[in-house]
Amino acid sequence: MTAPPDLLVIGGGITGQAAALAAADRGAKVEIVDFGRNAGSAANAGSLHVQMQSRFLRLNPHLADNLESSLPLYLSAVTAWEALDVRLGGVELTREGGLMLAETPAQMAFLEQKAERETAKGLDVEILGQNALRRIAPYLGAEIIGGELCRNEGKLNPLLANNRMSDALTAAGVVIHRDRIDEIVDGPVPEAHGARAYRAKRLLVAAAWGAGSMLRTVGLTIPTEPEPLHMNITEAGAYEIHHLVQHAERSITLKQFRSGQVVIGGGWPATRGAGDSVPGVRLRSLAGNVALAGRIAPGITGLRVLRTWAGYNTPVDGKATIGPVHPTSGVFLALPGDAGYTLGPIVGQTAAALALGWEPPLDPEPYAPTRWAAAA
Amino acid sequence: MSETFLFEGAPVPIRDGQSLAAALTEAGERVFRTTESGAGRGVFCGMGVCQDCLVTVDGRPNQRACMTLARPGMTVARQEPRPALKAPPETPKSAERLSPSVLVIGGGAGGLTAAIEARKGGADVLLLDERKVPGGQYYKQAALPDMEPLDAQQEDGRALVRAAQEAGVVILSGVAVWGAFEGPEIMAASENRVYAITPRALIVATGAYERPAMIRGWDLPGVMTVGAAQTLWRSYHTLPGKRVALFGNGPLTAQVALELSRGGAEIVYLGERAPSPLRRMGAALRMMRHDWPLAQKGLGMIAALMRRGIAVRHDARPVAIEALPDGLQIAIQRGGRRETVVADAVCMNFGFQPQNEILRLLGVRMRYDPNFDQLRPDRSDHMGTSASGVYAIGDCCGLGGAPAACDEGIIAGRAAAGLSGSGDGPVRQQLAAHRRFQDALWSVYAAPPPRLEDVEADVLVCRCEAVTKAALDASLDAGSTDIGAVKRATRVGMGRCQGRYCAPALAGYMARRTGADPQDLSFFAPRVPIKPVDIGTLVAAETLIPDESGDDSAA
Repeated sequence: MTAPPDLLVIGGGITGQAAALAAADRGAKVEIVDFGRNAGSAANAGSLHVQMQSRFLRLNPHLADNLESSLPLYLSAVTAWEALDVRLGGVELTREGGLMLAETPAQMAFLEQKAERETAKGLDVEILGQNALRRIAPYLGAEIIGGELCRNEGKLNPLLANNRMSDALTAAGVVIHRDRIDEIVDGPVPEAHGARAYRAKRLLVAAAWGAGSMLRTVGLTIPTEPEPLHMNITEAGAYEIHHLVQHAERSITLKQFRSGQVVIGGGWPATRGAGDSVPGVRLRSLAGNVALAGRIAPGITGLRVLRTWAGYNTPVDGKATIGPVHPTSGVFLALPGDAGYTLGPIVGQTAAALALGWEPPLDPEPYAPTRWAAAA
Repeated sequence: MSETFLFEGAPVPIRDGQSLAAALTEAGERVFRTTESGAGRGVFCGMGVCQDCLVTVDGRPNQRACMTLARPGMTVARQEPRPALKAPPETPKSAERLSPSVLVIGGGAGGLTAAIEARKGGADVLLLDERKVPGGQYYKQAALPDMEPLDAQQEDGRALVRAAQEAGVVILSGVAVWGAFEGPEIMAASENRVYAITPRALIVATGAYERPAMIRGWDLPGVMTVGAAQTLWRSYHTLPGKRVALFGNGPLTAQVALELSRGGAEIVYLGERAPSPLRRMGAALRMMRHDWPLAQKGLGMIAALMRRGIAVRHDARPVAIEALPDGLQIAIQRGGRRETVVADAVCMNFGFQPQNEILRLLGVRMRYDPNFDQLRPDRSDHMGTSASGVYAIGDCCGLGGAPAACDEGIIAGRAAAGLSGSGDGPVRQQLAAHRRFQDALWSVYAAPPPRLEDVEADVLVCRCEAVTKAALDASLDAGSTDIGAVKRATRVGMGRCQGRYCAPALAGYMARRTGADPQDLSFFAPRVPIKPVDIGTLVAAETLIPDESGDDSAA
């Protein structure tokens, strides 16, 4: 039997891929096991979020502190994506900022308070009145009275990024297995069991909504219930929407790829697929989400909607989980906890560094998995 | 011809009832839109599927010229690939919720027959048809108000449409279905109205669209399906060009050659992929025995072609098309020989693909047919599918021809009205005979279907996203094992036609490469909208959806 690899990554989405690439780039022998279906990153839309998403705050008011304390992680995440953009040879990453829009004075007041808290955490944000906003975003509707600009935000082309990432992993010699892991066994040489058994010096779980069930055997109880979310894409128009656009109160993200296509999302619900099938699309979400986008940005209403799809978000507790299951464990976790595509690279890279005994790119202490052991 | 619209600033005459595509073709315009790379595209499918004849109409971009009625005073422009983000002129749509006892989707031979039968059984029946004039592809009705039926086929179609109207079937024309959800709940829209329809029983009779040969130049303006050329002539009295070359497999191609010739076109080539029926006498005799009148009609057609000096060239297929200053030059492989011919329009039909998007969205159990690279629904004796209350008839279940579609329509129409059973005996016998005739017909015309294996590396497989065969091979060689992964890696099937041409070709190719039966997974996951839908339609649709729990809170 050949020597076990230095690192076995479970989950081939952006988090696991970034972990694998970071490890392989530093000379480690790395393998990935991925189920190959319904991966969150295969359905992602490519937003780079930094400012606190109003949707998350509205749905999870009890987790607001978790989200606020994660803001520095979001800043590091964008830095990690910028480095990855260079490493992968360009993924159409732009950082022209994100807008959060207001239609009422109450929404403006909410944004002003939010901006204050974010400034304190080091974000580059600014409140814009109607005229200033109109100058930088002429495609917006007349009902928009102002907004918050966060200059740290941006977007990238996820199809391009995922393709380039696959190529980079292949070139770096990372072996990818198609299998579904059901169980993990901790130990000096930890194991992962699927259709066959995999052994590695260190094991890294980056399986998003699949993580919860496989971690029970190592004594952690993590809520990784997937949240099926709806997305839409239009045909191409002239490239005029440079920002990542959100709303202070309503569920919407809207952005335009360099291809000219507009992606509309923002957390409208989809239906969970039965068994392994892909999540299903709801009529209410399609009509509601697109109609809202059309009201906010009437400039897009000349374009038709080409496709809809749904993907799984794994919000966990709104905070990342990074590090070993317990201080001497060989099993490490990399769970972004909401905004998985934005946070995936930094979370994966940090977890990989910890697993291999290298200096992590950020202080992992606030994200330690020990908070889940207490609940077990 | 006094009325006109403006195209690129110049007046184009219209005849009452003409589509924009027909009026522009008659005026000699070939290029309707330009692609990202600057290539021109024009009429291809002629039936609202391919999305290549897009134009900007009165400030509204990306309108299908083949489905848009030409109106005096319109301002029409060639569609640029990326129009400016500008809200088009506001045309609010009204919204309506309907719940007929039977909904029929598709106004062709099968759909009309099913609707009449369900109506006879006492049901209130609503029929939706995307075209401006019902009749479907087989009965293809005239769209010009003063146009008399060209022949018996069109006459029969007119009678069937009238019978449906007289029976009290409510026919909504110019209505496209864009969504199908559990229930079933069908979402549809016309130019100024949006519908949410929840019928007690649904009969899907959406027919088929044509399969092209993916050869060099198949995306050039002037190259179209045989059906597109037939629609131009039969519905709009417009010839696709002066000199026309036709290539195909099956009797439709010769029929259209004859129709165009009678209409004044010069048929410069009529190529049939299959060898001469004289070499397949057994099957030819079987065909005559099963349905002598139909067989006779076919023989009459060949005689009429010969009288006009048009020979059917058997064992012939196009291999490449090139745009020259004086027309389209087609390289042809005929038996062991190469030939070339120059034409103004090239028409192709190498079989049909079922339009089964609605069935797939409703979760109907399908089976993959490797001979045709297509999915077919499992059906009961009464044409019922695995989805409760959902029936499927005609060519959307795999090609069976119009007579069989009518038989199936009778059976499904009765069942949907709650009458199934005792009275079906004669029609079942008739259906069996029609199916035997079809089998014999396709034994006569048996020929290797176009396959991705034979497509050259730099030829486009996906017209919309300009994906070449080489790009697909590279993705497959890199280890992509499911079609969704190939799609994400290459953008194949991500364009406006939503993979209608590339997906079946790619599914078959992958199935043969891996030796695996691809089942339902082999095609791109079915998704709404069924066809691209404008945002105004979705805005209107939102008002039809009952509000459950505030607007957008995630469950």
